[in-house]
Amino acid sequence: MNKTLKRIAENFLFAANIFILFLLLFENKMIFPAWLQSVGRMHPMFLHFPIVILLIAMCMEFFRHKSTYSSQEFYQNFTTLFLLIGAISAAITVIMGLLLSKENGYTGDAVMFHKWFGVGIVFIASFIYWVRNKNFFTPLLAKIFSVVTVCCIIIGGHLGANVTHGENFVSTPFLSKKITEKAPIERAVLYTDVVQPLLAAKCMSCHNSEKAKGNLLLDNEADILKGGKNGKLFIPSNPRNSLLIERINLPEEEKKHMPLSGKPQLSDDEKELLFRWIQTGADFKKKVIDLPEGDSLRLIAAKFLAPPQEEEFTFSPADEKTIHSLSNNYRVVYPVAVESPALIVDFYNRKQFTSKALEELNAVKKQIVTLNVNKMPVTDNDLKTISQFENLRILNLNFTDITGNGLQQLSALKYLKSLSISGDKIDNKNIAVINKIKSLKEVFVWNTPLKTDDINALKNENKNIVFVEGYINDGKPTQLNNPILLTTKYIFSDTIHLALKHPIPGTQIRYTLDNTDPDSVSVLYKDDLVLDKTLTFKARAFKETWLPSDSIVYDFYKSGYKPDTVFFADLPADKYKADGAKSLFDNKTGELNFGLGKWIGFQKDMEVFMQFNKPVKLHSVALHMLKNIGGDIYPPTLIQVWGGINKTHLKLLQTIKPIMPGNGDISSLFLEECKFAPTNIGYIKIIATSVKNVPKFGTSPNKKGWIFTDEIFLN
Amino acid sequence: MEKEIIENSLNINRRKFLSQMSLGLGSVALGSLLIPDLFSKPDDDVSSVMLGMPHFAPKAKRVIYLFQNGAPSQLESFDYKPKLREMAGQDLPESVRMGQRLTGMSAFQAHFPLAGSVYDFQQYGKSRAWISDLFPHTAKVVDDICIIKTMYTEAINHDPALTFFQTGAQQGNRPSFGSWMSYGLGSENKNLPAFCVLLSRGKGNGQGVYSKLWSNGFLDSIHQGVQFSSGENPVLYLNDHAGINKSDRRKMLDKLAEMNDINYKQFGDPEINTKIQQYEMAYRMQTAVPDITDTSKEPDDIVKLYGPDCLVPGTYAANCLLARKLSENGVRFVQLYHQGWDQHSNLPKDMPGQAKDVDQASAALITDLKQRGLLDETLVIWGGEFGRTNYSQGKLEKTNYGRDHHPRCFSIWMAGGGVKSGIVYGETDEFGYNIIKDGIHVHDFHATCLHLLGLNHEKLTYKSQGRRYRLTDLAGQVIDGIMA
Repeated sequence: MNKTLKRIAENFLFAANIFILFLLLFENKMIFPAWLQSVGRMHPMFLHFPIVILLIAMCMEFFRHKSTYSSQEFYQNFTTLFLLIGAISAAITVIMGLLLSKENGYTGDAVMFHKWFGVGIVFIASFIYWVRNKNFFTPLLAKIFSVVTVCCIIIGGHLGANVTHGENFVSTPFLSKKITEKAPIERAVLYTDVVQPLLAAKCMSCHNSEKAKGNLLLDNEADILKGGKNGKLFIPSNPRNSLLIERINLPEEEKKHMPLSGKPQLSDDEKELLFRWIQTGADFKKKVIDLPEGDSLRLIAAKFLAPPQEEEFTFSPADEKTIHSLSNNYRVVYPVAVESPALIVDFYNRKQFTSKALEELNAVKKQIVTLNVNKMPVTDNDLKTISQFENLRILNLNFTDITGNGLQQLSALKYLKSLSISGDKIDNKNIAVINKIKSLKEVFVWNTPLKTDDINALKNENKNIVFVEGYINDGKPTQLNNPILLTTKYIFSDTIHLALKHPIPGTQIRYTLDNTDPDSVSVLYKDDLVLDKTLTFKARAFKETWLPSDSIVYDFYKSGYKPDTVFFADLPADKYKADGAKSLFDNKTGELNFGLGKWIGFQKDMEVFMQFNKPVKLHSVALHMLKNIGGDIYPPTLIQVWGGINKTHLKLLQTIKPIMPGNGDISSLFLEECKFAPTNIGYIKIIATSVKNVPKFGTSPNKKGWIFTDEIFLN
Repeated sequence: MEKEIIENSLNINRRKFLSQMSLGLGSVALGSLLIPDLFSKPDDDVSSVMLGMPHFAPKAKRVIYLFQNGAPSQLESFDYKPKLREMAGQDLPESVRMGQRLTGMSAFQAHFPLAGSVYDFQQYGKSRAWISDLFPHTAKVVDDICIIKTMYTEAINHDPALTFFQTGAQQGNRPSFGSWMSYGLGSENKNLPAFCVLLSRGKGNGQGVYSKLWSNGFLDSIHQGVQFSSGENPVLYLNDHAGINKSDRRKMLDKLAEMNDINYKQFGDPEINTKIQQYEMAYRMQTAVPDITDTSKEPDDIVKLYGPDCLVPGTYAANCLLARKLSENGVRFVQLYHQGWDQHSNLPKDMPGQAKDVDQASAALITDLKQRGLLDETLVIWGGEFGRTNYSQGKLEKTNYGRDHHPRCFSIWMAGGGVKSGIVYGETDEFGYNIIKDGIHVHDFHATCLHLLGLNHEKLTYKSQGRRYRLTDLAGQVIDGIMA
């Protein structure tokens, strides 16, 4: 190498050493121009050169005195040169680093040690360079110094990495598995267990006592309240004017957005958590469960916390084979969950239950945590067996045969949390045992001899236990549901037997046949009720302590005679012709919904003829009809009944004028009956005149109305 | 069988691959890249080991699902929107609708007149939940239930929406929710099916229910829902023919099992084993079912609690009472369907009847389970397949209107079994049209229910036709906010 160049480099190294010394002495009193800041920021890039060059140089230095190398001129020159370049690049790096450290946020132990190690490397390397050919610098000393330098490079480099990337940057992937235990919600403190871990994870890599960017420290309450160089971090209860909230909600590309772009960002939940925490006054002591239930902050906080603590069972699991052998169709034994030692036992089918079946469970008495003997004939004696299931948590004794004397035994159950004795004969005296079971949380006492007053007293004595009293009949009578008519035929020729029932045992059904509403003195229904004429049947259910039901209403029609032939003068409308004229005697009535094909409809006068092969004596002709204003369906304006012994001897037997519906009348089925003196009849003609002009309130005013009929009853 | 062969050869390959590459850390690292489960317990094995058992300690052991078939209106039940009354008759703003697809039934309306509830609302319980006057009994148990106002679904018509809720997919052919549960948890009581179905219908405009909704899909047929009917024989074909006594039946079944067993050894079809098991269960059901369906011994208080209709077989009230009895006897999943909630028109005339049918008995079920100490371990769900529009389908009159299908938000309630009680979850906008906060998708709902039952919805899988299926498909998040 050119000797001049080498001389210049040596001088530069010397000057750099002096400059570093100068910087170290006066760094607090100097102000640097902005462009130097950029030079400083090249420190993290430039530092790789001295590390590599010096490491190689120190290796070569270490072996320099080995006989094979000591004679090689190239080796010696190369080492010298590398050492020089290494020392110079180290010096430059250190100067850059010192400039960088003047920027905000580089304080703390890590930075300080890194600084002194860096400076140390420069001084040692320079020292080696200058003295390495002196006599006192023995081969041993050369080795020692090179090792020391290498150590300094490794330690200094590591400290620098910590400053840049954060502590444990390298080891984090190994350590992260051990997530710090989350506090269960019952004892979590809002700040300590929710807010602080969030700050630590997302903010404190820059804002800590080591780095303190923007002079903001988040290590403790006092620091947080103090804020940074831009003022207070937040105003309690006023999140909208708080710097913290402003910064985290800026768009990510903004320079002032926090956390800095490229660092792990805050999730929406985390942002909301900080907002709500400040909104509720940024309290450092408040517990999560002190917040009202359903409170937004509480709900969010709960997301960050561990769920309520699951119970850990410490006892050993039972043998799988034993569990299997204990399970049968009427006694089921199974673990709470996969890999859980705890067992649940259910009994089914009262007839299959024996005390022995319960005793056999002693094989797993340590492991049973839930026992369900609901509705089994369990006696006081069996409770002795149950009391040996030492780890029992939940015990369902509903509707068993226990009397309460045996309940004492349960005081041996140290972990019992939930006890169900609904439907048992437990009275006020026997229930007292629950005082002795300190672990109890809930007791179900519905349908026991215990009175409301007793239960209230129990509640007062045992504030930590929830007593569920269940449904109590408030004494207000409830309305009965309707009786059910089992008879499904409503048209009969001679007589009809009416069958009725009511689902509630002991209910009386009372009825009327005169279209009045039945009351408590109306005729009592018995199974021999037989009707023999057309009428409206109404029935209601009555029972003591109940309100009577609504009335059920059914029309029954007697259809004494069926003609041998029936036909129309003009055919009905195509849409409403049912099964033709014979539909008028098919014993099937139509519904309010007239589109179902059971009605015969005319938008003109209806003329129907009926013929008997053998004359019969009639005194009544009735038409079953429909009215429906919306569908322009009206009763006939006039009904004429003509009859006689045959077709040629007809005379007018009766004429009626049905009542027309008014505006707002609802659709209904009705019967128009024409009565006349008993007459021998072989041929009969009915003329029903339709409405010529639908009234104004109708759907098609001034047009022709419809008449609908489905059955004719001749008696 | 084929599956086992393939799996076996895969295992051999893995071992061989590792032994050949056992040259150093690098190869092991490569090995672990190629076979991600190499150093950990493979996740997939977990599901096969865990069958018939919860993956972790469950909150709920059983489910009673009170399905309101046809979709009850949220705006006349649990989602109080006074704004709709104020703005009655005005058009639904496009800024609210945001291009939401509508059904063919109202899409072509010239106007979408907003319609407020004709029923008043009051606040109840510690959560001050708004509940309409149509549900006075539900209002009394408000502190025991969790009202969710922000359910949403993807389907807009009954069948796909119902199928989505029941099977996790809109198209059908997948196992029903109850079947998954039977598959995941097994049956508690071996004398009854793990999955029972009860039907009832109200007087309102109804929509059908089909047996595909309780189908086992590709799961073993033992997980199929068993329908209980209201007639003389609650379970069809269960009773022996006249003239056959119990011991004859026993002998016949034993012989049949023997023959089936020969067949099984020959062909190895697991469905044969299922059949044997089902015959055996049916035999035991012959004694268990009459006991359970007999409601005549229920005390007067229970009849008053559920309403006297609970003694009329086939009514919703009777089904609620039966559901309690089945659940009490260890039936994992009791599925009720009550038809008649499809109020496209005449809503004010139809809905009171529908509400009256279900209100008292639903609330009674909660009270009854609670007083027996069973509510803690039974998850009760009440709700339909979607909601109804805030505008009137057809003409809006002062006292009459209808509502079309609305999938974007609707209300359901859940109770017991690890659900937070006495809260109202989620917020909808003042039009009752969009979700503002905390929406729960059908997949989320399923994931949460399974979680409460101690099942990890991502691990409860079944491999069919080359792919592993879940109830929650490839989605679903457990909603912490509704869990106690």
